[in-house]
Formats: sequence, structure tokens, C-alpha cells
Amino acid sequence: MLLDQYLIPDEPYYRPLKDEVELFSAAYASRMPVMLKGPTGCGKTRFIEYMAWRLGRSLITVACHEDMTAADLVGRWLLDPEGTVWSDGPLSTAVRHGAICYLDEIVEARQDTTVVIHPLTDDRRVLPLEKRGELIHAHSDFQLVISYNPGYQSAIKDLKESTKQRFAALDFGYPDHSAEVEVVAREAGIDPRIADLLVKVASHSRQLKGQGLDEGASTRMLVNAGRLIGCGIDLKGACETTIVVPLTDDPDTRNTLRDVISACA
Amino acid sequence: MTRVTVARISSLQGIRSGRRLAARLRGHEHVFKAAQAAQASLQRRPEWIHRLAAWDDAVHDLFEANLGDAVVLNFLRLSEQWPAQRAADDLLAVCLTVREIGCGAGSRVAHALLAVMPRILSRLATADALMTLFAAFRQLVEAAPESTGLVVGRLEQLLRHGDAADISAWISAGLRAAGGRAARRRAYFALDDALSVRLLFGRSGAGDDFSRLEKRLAATTLALWNRRVRFRKLAFAQLPPVPRRTSLAAGFIGMPGGFPGFEGDRSDKLYLAASAHAGAHLVHSSVRFPVGRLKPLQLALVSLIEDARVETLALRDMPGLRRLWLPFHTAAPSSQATVAALMMRLSRALIDPGYEDPDAWVAKGRVSFAAAADRCSDPAISREIGGLLGNDIGQMRLQFNAKSYVVEPVYRDDNLALWDFGDQPDEPTEEIELPVDSVRLERREETGAALDDTARPDQTMRARARSVNLLDGFPVATYPEWDYAARIERPDWTTILEADAAASAAPDMMSLDDDAARRATTVTRDASIGRRVRYKGQRDGDSLDIDAAIALTIERRVGRAAEPRVYLRDAPGPRDLAILLLLDLSQSTADRDRQGRSVLDVERKAAAIMTAAVEAAGDAIAVHGFSSDGREHVRYLHIKSFEERMDAVARSRLASLASSHSTRLGSALRHAGSYLAMQRAFRKALLVLTDGEPSDVDVSDPHYLAEDARRAVQQLRRGGIDTFAFGIGGGPLSQLDRIFGERRALRVSRIEVLPRRLVQLYGELKK
Repeated sequence: MLLDQYLIPDEPYYRPLKDEVELFSAAYASRMPVMLKGPTGCGKTRFIEYMAWRLGRSLITVACHEDMTAADLVGRWLLDPEGTVWSDGPLSTAVRHGAICYLDEIVEARQDTTVVIHPLTDDRRVLPLEKRGELIHAHSDFQLVISYNPGYQSAIKDLKESTKQRFAALDFGYPDHSAEVEVVAREAGIDPRIADLLVKVASHSRQLKGQGLDEGASTRMLVNAGRLIGCGIDLKGACETTIVVPLTDDPDTRNTLRDVISACA
Repeated sequence: MTRVTVARISSLQGIRSGRRLAARLRGHEHVFKAAQAAQASLQRRPEWIHRLAAWDDAVHDLFEANLGDAVVLNFLRLSEQWPAQRAADDLLAVCLTVREIGCGAGSRVAHALLAVMPRILSRLATADALMTLFAAFRQLVEAAPESTGLVVGRLEQLLRHGDAADISAWISAGLRAAGGRAARRRAYFALDDALSVRLLFGRSGAGDDFSRLEKRLAATTLALWNRRVRFRKLAFAQLPPVPRRTSLAAGFIGMPGGFPGFEGDRSDKLYLAASAHAGAHLVHSSVRFPVGRLKPLQLALVSLIEDARVETLALRDMPGLRRLWLPFHTAAPSSQATVAALMMRLSRALIDPGYEDPDAWVAKGRVSFAAAADRCSDPAISREIGGLLGNDIGQMRLQFNAKSYVVEPVYRDDNLALWDFGDQPDEPTEEIELPVDSVRLERREETGAALDDTARPDQTMRARARSVNLLDGFPVATYPEWDYAARIERPDWTTILEADAAASAAPDMMSLDDDAARRATTVTRDASIGRRVRYKGQRDGDSLDIDAAIALTIERRVGRAAEPRVYLRDAPGPRDLAILLLLDLSQSTADRDRQGRSVLDVERKAAAIMTAAVEAAGDAIAVHGFSSDGREHVRYLHIKSFEERMDAVARSRLASLASSHSTRLGSALRHAGSYLAMQRAFRKALLVLTDGEPSDVDVSDPHYLAEDARRAVQQLRRGGIDTFAFGIGGGPLSQLDRIFGERRALRVSRIEVLPRRLVQLYGELKK
């Protein structure tokens, strides 16, 4: 089967925060399009992988970028020795064969690109392939999921109202303290006490959001820091490399982050 | 052998010059005697052997200069008392300088310099410093003899604020700034001139440790304690010297500009430790203790326990803070058993688990504190333990001197904020007297809420409004001005006085009406900023346009010739912009048109719409205003800086702008340009809104300021800053074309269209 390569073989680690697993399952039951909102590195992508595994569906992920065209999503004509052949894009593949199509960071794509998903996201559930003169009726297993990070939106990079209103939305934040410690310890394979320290650093850094930082340290950053620590790097060096330097270039803010790290450790 | 010869030759010279001096002093017996006495004293010093002849000559010339016997006598006295460690040449330089100053500025000034010399010598420790100062004096007496006395008269005071190099720089800056006018020089050197004061005192004010660290401390406090606190620099009286401590007051953390004895890295650590301690208080010192009838000792002890309590709580969350605090706890068991020393030892014992102290009182404090560990979050334990320990001190018959008591270690604050002194200010005997001579920060009424009130615009506004509103602003820069008639650039000719515009506490009058807001949004959307633009079907480019390539191949297969335009090219989309909107606030902007709208009203509205549009598009915009009252008072107001959002504060500043004075356009353009130059943006634009032509009270030639402004615009353009002007209203605008260039001087005769024209221009700039 074409979609087999997109199946997720093993259970991805995911620690539910609230009732998002139940909510998503219910949305999937009625094939409702879902939008995952939340800051970067808080676990949106991991969640959808977990859900795909749990529901036994293939997951086709598209990382959106600003040069992405509608053709990149739905497909295009290619040439072979005999003549032209149609090649489905990732979205068409998912629609035709019944997978979950996950458009990551959808706002990065141009607005005129994202409108191709409109007919899929209301009760028509069809995808017109204009160039081919074909109308694909979505497979009964197909579901559309998008993610988007409301953190760095400006007036320009925002979803059209007509796009937004088609989705059910799950709001992801950073997990609460003990949950985040659990995640970091598990993912990085480190002692929960060190994970606890890292999470403290992160929660302090998140208070600087808008005051020198665009975003505080994400869970992903902590996992990275934890992995370095697991390889024998000391806490200070690991935090410097995975948190302080990536987060900001401003020397004052860097010093503040270092103050935070040394206060917590 | 050689040495003897040299000595003989020099003494021969000495004899010759000595004779000459003696001959010259004939008939002035008291001077002659004094000269002999001084000579005799110098002769005893070995390093003077070779310099005595030169000294004789110097005295001779000084006498010759005819400055009066008093000057010579004073110099002779100085020679006699000349410190042994100072070089002979330094004394000769003094003599030469005194003579030159006397000749140029009169004997009284020369006399004054000699009189002050003994007192300032210690501040001019090296020969270099002395020479630097004297070179500056020579320059001064040559260019400004009338002002030399002013400088000499306050030399001692000046040296307290800077070294010889600072004074030298200050003198030459003054000479340049005065531009040959004696009255202005006199004002400058008498410190009646704002620029002068800034140059002299500005350096030490801006460069202190606190100012350097303030931003970091505020950010760290926010990160560690989630409290937005305003830091303030405390002014401390110089005399008598008191130990400086941090001071907390409703929403502020006051800190000294520097901690004497702490420099560089140690100073950074101290500030961090002090702000961390203050943060611990902010979070954990939740109630204020009533002073009641507590004795000073009890107050001090309760405060000490409270300090330990909040630090213990803080350490539970952030054990790393111990590394910050511990180095300042240096008390040792070996210290004397005074109350102050015991208290320092107790402080250490409570925070340093590794510290051992044999004293029973310290041990008791430690045990009681440890016993209360599970109630640590309850401030009441500070009262209990502090009171208990106070009684013990009483029984130990130890004296506590409240007057000289200072909180230790140095990073801890004065603890005044812990106490509720109640409504009885006339009970001073019961109050603890902490000799910290800090500025009493005004206690605002909303004490409790003030800590995290930044979300509430009116309070933020009040706080910010309080800190600004210097009537005339602070002199921050001087700029040259172009004299087109003489074809010279007059250096440091104008002084910019800069301030944040006053924010009124009035309700937000500048909120946008719907129409304006809609317009702003439309422009923003149309400009669709920040995206790269992709051109398909190009002859060359970075990547293949697959669709075009397939189409081309199909064409070829069916035998048609087609152009090989199969590439994609990426080009930067609309560029990012930094815009500075400069508002003319001169008196004429108050004139109203037939509908009763003043030019200023329209400027305000246009600025509000423009900032909304530009901010929505994610570009940087600042709004500044200017007016002038002569070249020394070019007022420059910040309404919204590049870093600020167009929030309630900025809007209220905009709303409370008022028209006054004149339009010295060139200086304002140069100053605005300096702000734009600091911005990182692909394109920088300076937009001036004005209703007329440049003019000022001290300029009669109508072309002078226009030509200067023209030159300023040209310089800005060379620096990559586009300058546009909007001439508002029906006034005389003929010079605008000449200043800005025809295509960049835009007329807006009907003032209501100004906002639209501005936003249009913005759209154009984005293309």
C-alpha cells in the first residue's frame, strides 16, 4: 500500500496534558478538521504523531514554507518517456487514500495557497484537481490537521478568517511543572532532579516573554539540554549551548538568562 | 669625575643666574629674602642641583612680568613647600603657567592659581596630568582671557568631578561651542550653560555601575521573581560618608550608583546579590510589621531574621542564589563580641550551613530558626525569634548603637520597607534610625498593587510621567550649523535639549476613529510586508519552475518552438522600513483653519494613524517632535521611540503636545537622523510634518536656516536616510522645495488629507 510508509510503527512517547486525546479522538470520529495551537517546541507535532499511531492511521506531514504553491500540495503533471503523467501531491495522496494530513506551521504558506484546503474542510470533503479535471472525494479515513503558533503572528502572517473558522482548535501550552519534568526526564533520559532544574530555568525564562525574549525556553530546548547533560556536559555548559545562545543575541538578556541558570542550580 | 664636572658647570650657571636674579630683585628686599629662603630650601634637595639655574631664571621672568610682589612671593612660598616627591620641572611649569595666565588674564587670576595649587597638587598626581591641565590653561587664556578666572576660581571643585584630561576636554569643548562670543564663553565657564554642565558631569553620571546594570537587573528580577519592578538610582550625600544600601519602596528598588570598594566583576556580583535579595523580599515579605513600641535593637533583629527567612524561602526554589549571597558573609567567630559583630555572625549562621560559631547567642538564634523551619513561610516567626534574641542581648548587657548600625552584609537592603511606621511621625524615639541617607521615594497611594501593575495603563502612565517632564529637557547633543554666507560649518553650534514628552493623565483622547483604523489596516494588508516575491517563468534564476519546464517540454514535443523561460527567481519582497516621524511643534502649528482645526491637531491625528499602520505592518516607527528657542535651546521631544509600542502612554504624550517657539529645522533633522542611523532596516525614512519654513529668534536672515536644513538633508541622504517633508496648510512653503528637493517636499494644503497622504507615502516606500 502506498500509505504504509506513512504509518507510525511504534508508539511515540506522549504525555497527555489534559483531555486533548479524547477531544481529538472525538473530532476524528466525525472527521472534523483540527487546528493545533501553541508555542514552538511544546509538543504539537509529537501529539499528532501519537494520535495517528493511536488511531492506526497514516500521517502525511507537510512543513509549510512561504514558497509553497498549491501545486506542491495537490500535485502536478510530470513527464515520462511516454508523455505526461500526473503525480499526486501530499495532500491529494492523503485525500485519495485516507490518511491524516498534517500541515505544520500553516501560516508560513501564502494565503492563496492555503485556500485549496477550503473544499476539504466543510461538509463537501472534496479536493478539485483543476489541472487534471478531477474531483477527488475524500477517503472516509482522511482528516486534515494544521498547526500554528500564535506567538509570532503579525498582521501579515495570520490565517484568513474564512480558513480559521473551519477548524476545531486545541490549545497547547507548556505542560505544568511536574508534567514537564516527567517529559524532559523521559525524553532526555536524565535524572528527574536535573530535569526539575531545567524546567525551573525554563519557567523563569518564560517570564521574560515580551521583555527581551520572543518566547521562553521550550520543552524541546530542555530535552536538548538534558541530552547534552546525559552525554556528560555540565549543566551550565549544556544550558548555555541549548538555551542561552539559541534564544537571544542581546548580551543583557543573555546575562539575565545566565543569572537565572546560576540561581536555579 | 664626570659628576663633579657637571656639578661644577651647573653651579657655575647657578652662580650666574643667581647673580642676575639678585640684581633684578635689588630694592625689593622682602622678595629677595624670600627668594633666598626658597633657594636655600631647594638647594638641599639633590635633584634640584641641575635645575636651580632654571628656577632662578623662572623667578626672574616672573618678577619681570610685573604681576605684583604678591604673586612672586606666593610662588616663592610654593617653591619652599614644594613636595619632595614632585619633579622640579613641574614647579617650573607652574611658574611658566602662572606667568602666562598673569600676562593674559591679569595678576589676580595668576594669584588665584598659585593660591589653589597646594590644594590641587594631590589630585594632579602625575607630571602628565599637570602638563595636560596647563596646556589647556594656555589655550584658555589665549582664546578666552575673560573666562580664565572663572575656571581657576573653581579649579578645586572641577577636579573633584574629573581628572585633568576631563577638564582639558571640557575647556576645549567650551571654546569651540562658544564660537568666539565672550558672553557665551562666560556662561559656559561659569557653569551657567546646560552643555557645559552636561560635559562636565555627564560622563560620571552615565557610566556608573548601576546604569550599566539596570537593564539586566530588571530583566533578572522579572525572570526570577516574576515581578516587574522599576529600579531607581539613589542619590547619596557625599558627606558624611554613609555605607550605601539598597532601599525598597512601593514598586521601586532603589540602588546606589555604585558601591564604594566594589569594582568590575565584584560590583556586578554585588548588584546581582542585592537585587536577588530585594526580589526575595518582594515575593516573600508579604506583610509589614507594625513598629509599635519596639526598640531599635528589636527592629534590627526582627529585620535580620526576616532577611534570613526570605532568603531561606528563596533558596528552596533557587539554591544557586546561595553562591551569590555567601561570599558577602565574611563574619568570623574571631570577631569581637559587639552586638553588630554578633548580628553579622548570626546572619551568616542562618544562611551558611557550613559555618560554625561557638557563641551561645548565635547558636540559640540558629536553633530557634531551624526549629521554625516548617513555618518558614509565616512572617510571624521573624517577630518571635527577633524579639526573643533581643531580650537575650538585653540580658547580656551589650550596648547597641542604633545611630551607627548599618545592615550587613552589604547586599542587604535597609529593611525600612518591612516596617509599618503607623501614623505617628512624632514618635521618633521609638523609630530605628538607620543612617542611610537615601532619597525618600514617594510612597504612592496604590502601594499594594504597584508591584505588578504594568498591565494597567493609567498607573504605568503616572509612573512614567513622573519620571520625565523636565521642563526643558536634558542637553544631549550639539550639532554644527552651516553658514551659507560664510561657507563654513560652525561646530557645536546648536544644543539639543531632549526629553520625553509629558504624558497627561487625561483619558486617552487619541484613540483611532474607525475610518482611520480601517485605512491603516488596508494599507498594511496591501503592502503585504516581509514576504519574498517569487517570479515564475524567468530566463534565469535560482531554481527550476517545474510547471514551466513541463509546459516547455510539451511544447517542444509537439514541435512548437517556445522560449526557454523555465526558471524561478526569488527577490526580496517589500523591504523593511524604519520611519521617524518628526513633528513641527512651533508656535504657528497652533493656528486654526476655518473649521477650527489646528495644524498640531492634524499632525497628531496623522501620527496616530501612521503609527498604527506601520506597527501593524511590523515596521519600526518613532514619533518625535521639536521646537526651538534660539540655538542653545532646540527642544526635542520623544513621543514614541522605536522600542515603545503605541500604547496608552505614547498616545497620551501625543495628546498633550503643545505648540510653542520656533522651527530650527536643521538641528532637529540632524538629531532625528542620529536616531534613524542606529536602526537596522533596509530603508530608513525621515518624515517631517511642518507648517512653514525654518525660523528662529536669533536668526534674521531668512535663508540661513533653510540653507542649513538643506545641508542637513543632503548629509542624511548621503547617510542612506530618505527625507520627506509634508508642508501643511496654506502658509509660505516655497523654501521646502529647496530644502528637501521638489519630489520630496509634498504639499498638503487641505489639512484633513494629511493622514491619507502620509499613509500613501508609506505604501510607496514599501514598494
